[in-house]
Amino acid sequence: MESMDLFPVSKRQRAVMLAFLLVLALLWVLPIYSLISNSLKGAGLSNFAHVLTNKINEMPFFMYFVNSLIVAACSCVLTVGIASLAGFAFSKIQFVGKNLIFNIVVICLAVSGAIVLVPFFFILKTMHLYNTYFAVILPEVTLTLPFAVLMMRNNFDGILSELMESAYMDGARLWTIFARIFFPLAGPALINLGVLQVMWSFQDFLLPLMFLTKNRLFTSTIAINVFKGEYGVVGPNIGYLNAALVLISVPSILIFSFARRFIVGGLTAGSLKE
Amino acid sequence: MKRLRIMGRSNLAGYMFILPLLAVFSVFMLYSFYFVLRTSFFKVNITFLKPSFVGLANYAIALGDQKFFLALLNSFLLSAVSIFFGLTLGFLVAVLLRFKLRGRGIFHSLFFVPSMLPMAFIAVIFGTLLEYNDGLLNNMARFLDLKFLDQRWLSNPRLALASVSAVSIYLIGIPIMYYTAELATLNNSVFEAAIVDGASFRQILFLVLYPILKNTHMTIALSLLLGGFREMERVYLMTDGGPGGATEIISTYIFRNSRSAGANLGFVAAISVLTLLLAFVITIAQQRVNRRMRR
Repeated sequence: MESMDLFPVSKRQRAVMLAFLLVLALLWVLPIYSLISNSLKGAGLSNFAHVLTNKINEMPFFMYFVNSLIVAACSCVLTVGIASLAGFAFSKIQFVGKNLIFNIVVICLAVSGAIVLVPFFFILKTMHLYNTYFAVILPEVTLTLPFAVLMMRNNFDGILSELMESAYMDGARLWTIFARIFFPLAGPALINLGVLQVMWSFQDFLLPLMFLTKNRLFTSTIAINVFKGEYGVVGPNIGYLNAALVLISVPSILIFSFARRFIVGGLTAGSLKE
Repeated sequence: MKRLRIMGRSNLAGYMFILPLLAVFSVFMLYSFYFVLRTSFFKVNITFLKPSFVGLANYAIALGDQKFFLALLNSFLLSAVSIFFGLTLGFLVAVLLRFKLRGRGIFHSLFFVPSMLPMAFIAVIFGTLLEYNDGLLNNMARFLDLKFLDQRWLSNPRLALASVSAVSIYLIGIPIMYYTAELATLNNSVFEAAIVDGASFRQILFLVLYPILKNTHMTIALSLLLGGFREMERVYLMTDGGPGGATEIISTYIFRNSRSAGANLGFVAAISVLTLLLAFVITIAQQRVNRRMRR
């Protein structure tokens, strides 16, 4: 973060700016207050104990996290692996049809989960992957790849090319160069991408909602939907619902507070200039 | 003279490196396009057995379907509200956070956190907060005797979409991030002339800074516009498209139609194709802007 002012301002102006941000921050406190106060309704802190110790839909609370973690870790590894290889090829190797393939991949940024819901359902059913972790992992990877490939190509474009000057090279040498030099050099970008994919996977709702119908596979966003159905947004169990929400949010907030710079780095590198 | 920028030249190696990408993409993306396009010409249910060819009939139904257009319109309205808050509040906050202010780091985190959390989580919190009988907003309105704030925010058809859209105020984290990145690259000389001329804070903000960042506004607007097609949980969990379809958006409409008993998936495929074409147009515009910026 820059430590200098953007341009000189008077003391009074600085005070006005701070006041504005404080008022805005108050607006941010409202939902937090609503969440915390609702989570204590009824039985107070024992709402949390209830949520943590009781099985909801025959699932212990922490299992939703385990499922989310498995899905996120797998889609992270697959995305980073596939996108770094492809990004390297699109940036550093000359081959027939390169630009055409790259442009097709990038334009698929347009595709959202809802648009391909029906075909994904059919493909997953046919491959017997419906109701497995892969029913969410593979669609998540597919939907992130256009961004990931674009980001990795931009990243490799920024890494000096003089390292490999000769015009003709066989696959084995290219692989060595990729693995020994370019992959390590891309480290920071790979971390950014990995963190982003984990975040997006944790946020994902539509794909697990559509492709997972067995309780034991439910991820934590689907847990939110389950709890909403089980406890209701009004009535006597509102304390349980909100306690569950607090518990679901805490790990995410902790992880992503530490990872914020990776998220920002990844998103801005993907679309803005370096 | 041609500068040698690309160093490896090998068709085989090139395709070996993109093989995993091609494998995932041809199975899930390209086959999906083929499947959704083909299905759109058939009448078929979820078992995909016994499809009957109906030609363009599904498209005719889709183009005559008011609910489809309402869902598209609502998706765009949701994006429009996000864009509005991003380009106004988001811009202002990003600029203010570039000054030495007490607690700047805390403000930064606070305004960014909602953008990192699952939207499902945020949707349920706001669904509870805006609830009529015991929601925080209505309780506050009753306590302060402010009748106009005591509303059925999510069940009044005239208010529901506005209520769902209003959550966008809290989603300015991504616009702030883009502005912050761009502001960091600005040269101080940009402001010197304006300051020598005695420009006020407001003039520098709106007459100097706002025009300079026009590419950033564009990047943010296009990415949020595209984001409208990805919206799902906000509507699904706050109103589930209700009351009476007033808040239906494209994702919830596709989801609902593909899940309803005996649904004609050909019709769902037709609206998917039409939506995809719209999304392609926006993406092409977005990539043009991004390429222009990188130069």
